Amino acid sequence: MATEVEQHVMLHTHDGVGLIRLNRPEKMNAIGALTRQQLGEAIKQAERDDAVRVVVLTGSGRAFCSGADVTEMVGGGGMRTPEDVGNVLRNEYMPMLTRLRTMPKPTIAAMNGPAVGIGASYALACDIRIATPEAYLMEAFINIGLAPDGGVSWLLPRLAGTAVAYEMFFTGKALPAEDAHRLGVINRVVPADRFEEEVRDFAGQLAKQPRQALAAAKRAVNHALESSYEGALEFESYLQEAQAGSQEFADGVQAFLARRKK
Amino acid sequence: MAYEYIKVEPDPPIATITLDRPKVLNALSPAVIAEVGQALSELDADDAVRAVVITGGPKVFAAGADIGDMAERSAAEQLNRDQTGAWSPISGFKKPLIAAVNGYCLGGGCELALMCDVIIAGDSARFGQPEINLGIIPGAGGTQRWPRTAGKFAAMEVMLTGGMIGARRAYELGLANKVVPAEMSVAVAQRMARQLAEKPPVAVRLAKESVQKAFETSLAEGLAAERRSFYFLFSTDDQKEGMRAFLEKRKGVFKGR
Repeated sequence: MATEVEQHVMLHTHDGVGLIRLNRPEKMNAIGALTRQQLGEAIKQAERDDAVRVVVLTGSGRAFCSGADVTEMVGGGGMRTPEDVGNVLRNEYMPMLTRLRTMPKPTIAAMNGPAVGIGASYALACDIRIATPEAYLMEAFINIGLAPDGGVSWLLPRLAGTAVAYEMFFTGKALPAEDAHRLGVINRVVPADRFEEEVRDFAGQLAKQPRQALAAAKRAVNHALESSYEGALEFESYLQEAQAGSQEFADGVQAFLARRKK
Repeated sequence: MAYEYIKVEPDPPIATITLDRPKVLNALSPAVIAEVGQALSELDADDAVRAVVITGGPKVFAAGADIGDMAERSAAEQLNRDQTGAWSPISGFKKPLIAAVNGYCLGGGCELALMCDVIIAGDSARFGQPEINLGIIPGAGGTQRWPRTAGKFAAMEVMLTGGMIGARRAYELGLANKVVPAEMSVAVAQRMARQLAEKPPVAVRLAKESVQKAFETSLAEGLAAERRSFYFLFSTDDQKEGMRAFLEKRKGVFKGR
């Protein structure tokens, strides 16, 4: 008799928005082996599905994601040796975090609550973050004698500056949503009662934007983050050339001119 | 002539060759190499064409060789097919050859790109020599051209692990001249080909030959060959035209004489 596989992650697509929801509220959406596998699949599917124009990653219950399931790291679940820890980061987290950052569509972290450890890595790997006032980011690694992982050593200094990043890595203290918003790490903070609606509206707006132009913006930024100023200017010039020949541009200009005539 | 596996589009003064077997990711069978060689031999002889672009199109350059075709062959059979000879019109092409590389550029595909003079990489490009995973090694120059371009250690890494490197790393290693959005790589390569087509053809040919010499001879021999070509160019009309045009502050018009 087949046992039903637990659904740690759900992907629901509606009106161009692919909503990926971590579904372990009783564990504060901690990420274990099964979660990783399902999350990896969901992210891959959201990237491939043309019906998905914008991806939203969120949690269920009180937390966004409380990080890796530490009980699994020290006990069962197939992750025991230090080498296992490294292998899981390289072989499982790395591809899906990279995918979030480079897929040709916007990704939004809807931080319904705290994002801790690898949970913060997911939130920071997304292009945009929307959070409730109760949410926070926390690099808790130091509290259990670990180093930052999941790409935060790269992402956080770029988003918040090295001073803030170091403070978080050294102290393991939470960065509350409002503070993160002030620093530009979180795009907007929305009260819990309006949170889901606001996320839906914002994602819905992006889903109506010209998709190739959205993808081009993301490619330009990702290229620029690893290139010189001149390199970025040149890459932009070619992207713009491709975009200037697109139907999206033809339609966009026509609509713009029609609006001006009124 | 008509080709089955490639498209050849002359657009003087340039021409574009596109590997055209998308269903097998442009795998390079002996027949494909033969067609590319045939096309390049003809283009080398065509005075109207002064530079050539070779590409696999928007998605993939060439993902290696036709493994199905090789799997059960013996050493003697492979030797007798003389694939080395089949590649020589490509490596021996005398005019500028520019590769526009998108997506997978693996095995024989990568060796083909390494035979070119310029590589324009789309941002989706992935270079590698995965032969080791099949119990063989590259057979069309990979082990020789990689270290001459990217250095010993990068070459060893690629040959021994069979892993791939992305466009950015290829650029940093000097394996790609430029990284551009994938949908623009062919256009960028064609524009560069047009620019090169305006240069004096004899000087272009000797410049290419001279740089190639650097990989094949001692420094003293290379320098001597370079000097001979340098003096020789003073016997061409294009040198007179080029220098006059420079002094008269106008653009030179070159005839290839």
